[in-house]
Amino acid sequence: MFDRDIWQEIFHSIKNNKLRTFLTGFSVGWGIFILVMLLASVNGMQNGFYSQFNDDATNSIFIRPGNTSKAYAGFEAERRIQLKNDDIEYIKRSFPNDYEHISARFFKNTSARYKSETGSYSVQAVHPDHQVIEKTIVTHGRYINNNDLATSAKVAVIGRKVAQDLFKEEDAIGKFVEFNGLPFRVVGIFIDEGDDNAERGIYAPVTTYQRIYGNTENINQILLTYNSSYDLTKALEFSGRLENILKRRLKIAPEDQSGLRIWNYAEAFSDISSFTSVLSAIGIVVGILILVAGIVGIGNIMVFIIKERTKEIGVRKALGAEPAQIIKLVLLESVFITALSGFIGLLIATVLLSLIGPTIESPAFTNPSVSFSVVVTATIILIVAGVIAGLIPAMKAANIKPIVALRDK
Amino acid sequence: MIEIKNLHKSYKMGSNSLHVLKGINFSVKEGELVAIMGSSGSGKSTLLNILGMLDVANEGEYHLDGVPIKDLNETKAAKYRNKFLGFVFQSFNLINYKSAMENVALPLYYQKVGRKERQDKALKYLDQVGLKEWATHLPSELSGGQKQRVAIARAMAAEPKVLLADEPTGALDSKTSYEVMDLIQKINDEGNTILVVTHEEDIAQMCKRIVHLKDGVIVEDKKVKQVRASQYV
Repeated sequence: MFDRDIWQEIFHSIKNNKLRTFLTGFSVGWGIFILVMLLASVNGMQNGFYSQFNDDATNSIFIRPGNTSKAYAGFEAERRIQLKNDDIEYIKRSFPNDYEHISARFFKNTSARYKSETGSYSVQAVHPDHQVIEKTIVTHGRYINNNDLATSAKVAVIGRKVAQDLFKEEDAIGKFVEFNGLPFRVVGIFIDEGDDNAERGIYAPVTTYQRIYGNTENINQILLTYNSSYDLTKALEFSGRLENILKRRLKIAPEDQSGLRIWNYAEAFSDISSFTSVLSAIGIVVGILILVAGIVGIGNIMVFIIKERTKEIGVRKALGAEPAQIIKLVLLESVFITALSGFIGLLIATVLLSLIGPTIESPAFTNPSVSFSVVVTATIILIVAGVIAGLIPAMKAANIKPIVALRDK
Repeated sequence: MIEIKNLHKSYKMGSNSLHVLKGINFSVKEGELVAIMGSSGSGKSTLLNILGMLDVANEGEYHLDGVPIKDLNETKAAKYRNKFLGFVFQSFNLINYKSAMENVALPLYYQKVGRKERQDKALKYLDQVGLKEWATHLPSELSGGQKQRVAIARAMAAEPKVLLADEPTGALDSKTSYEVMDLIQKINDEGNTILVVTHEEDIAQMCKRIVHLKDGVIVEDKKVKQVRASQYV
């Protein structure tokens, strides 16, 4: 393998066939390049899909009430369903092992004022668990806590944009801001990686807002995360049970789709995963098919080189070269050309990806890149490909009869 | 050194077979310089190919240095060729992208001799054929006679028991031919066994024994008084 003479011969034969070696090497490099690019594109799509969801926990379930579409249990159709605090308690009681975090959402718009700055924002009044479910990142101060909830404290966690609008350069933490005339103390500032608009929001304790708005028990939505150890089937089974029980409790017909909507991320996720795995399978198949063309090309050039060197191989055999040594020479040359050109393709692809990959940030396509394992796999494929490409020519070379090769005609 | 008994060889040419060697009995002692002569088609090259283990006989026995040469697979044949035989061809058959020295070192490479020793030996043999200064030159930079001398150095480098030369002067003009023959004679003077296939009478006369082949049988086998090539050089 590390025999200097063998390498010298390989370089000689490459040097003597520069253009041909380049053209065939190009086809293999191109094949690997396309394979890597395809896999990276699939990866980019996957990243894109996941980033669409990444501001929510991936095991979350959203419960949204609507209007019933069917008359049921003595109620008319088109009844507005209203969720209440009790419903949360009921879910907690009924599914103690199934949920991990649960929070209400109670929406109100507010006009906020700090000194001379004003702005109109939407307030989401929530439970402390909401932070985990929404993956809210608090950069300054803290989130809503249980103490705020118990005391119905007038505190608020404001988005980065809100802080910018109202406080400008000032430090917002601890300052009082007026929401519809009522003073709220800012306890935290959050950012949202998912989208900038979310940073124009405000979180407040749900109990505080319910008290302000007429001591109501009403809530707009319930968010929860299911036990993260659940797989897809268990997650779907749980959201099914949740739906049945809530529909019974809220007196909605079991088949009524619009009275209560339960949105389970597991479903969307499983769709995406199977979609992207089909895509990567297609990518791999197409990439390998292109690579096969390259391998055939290398095999072709090797056959040609052998044919050209028939006499030389005959001489070598007359001088005492064993068939195994001839095979080794041809295989090594083929593996060398394949691996070298493949690596160049691989290198160009990875460099290209690392340069332009991070700059691509569209909703459906984010940071296309390849993992280390893909690179390793591609390398193994290349070496195997080189051996396959060289095998037939090598056998041909080993079978050259010196007497035929040396015939002067 | 070489013992052959009742050697037969025929080639299949389509439906009919061509009987090329029809029972050759022949032996060569150590240190002999034998010319094998005959017109084309007489079987002389076939005989040399069989002696060189490049081809196999259909029938008969062949002993080389006491070793029976039979049932050879490719690997074994390669080993024997490397160990016992040196070849010199009419068309030199140097490897065109290797320098003179690398060409000479090639059989040593197949003997798995180390790189340094290989180069030393190659230089030594190049020196013997008077081409030490040409060691780094490619075959394309050498004249025909020089090429053949490199080929002879290559054949000698493995220190074979027998040197087989197939029309070594066939592609050379007469002056160069004599130079090459002078070299062959000198190598023979050192005690090496050499077989030369030729159809040129003057070349044959420079050997010590002439074997005439005609239609696949030996028609004449005589010792001759060697004509020294050095007088023509």
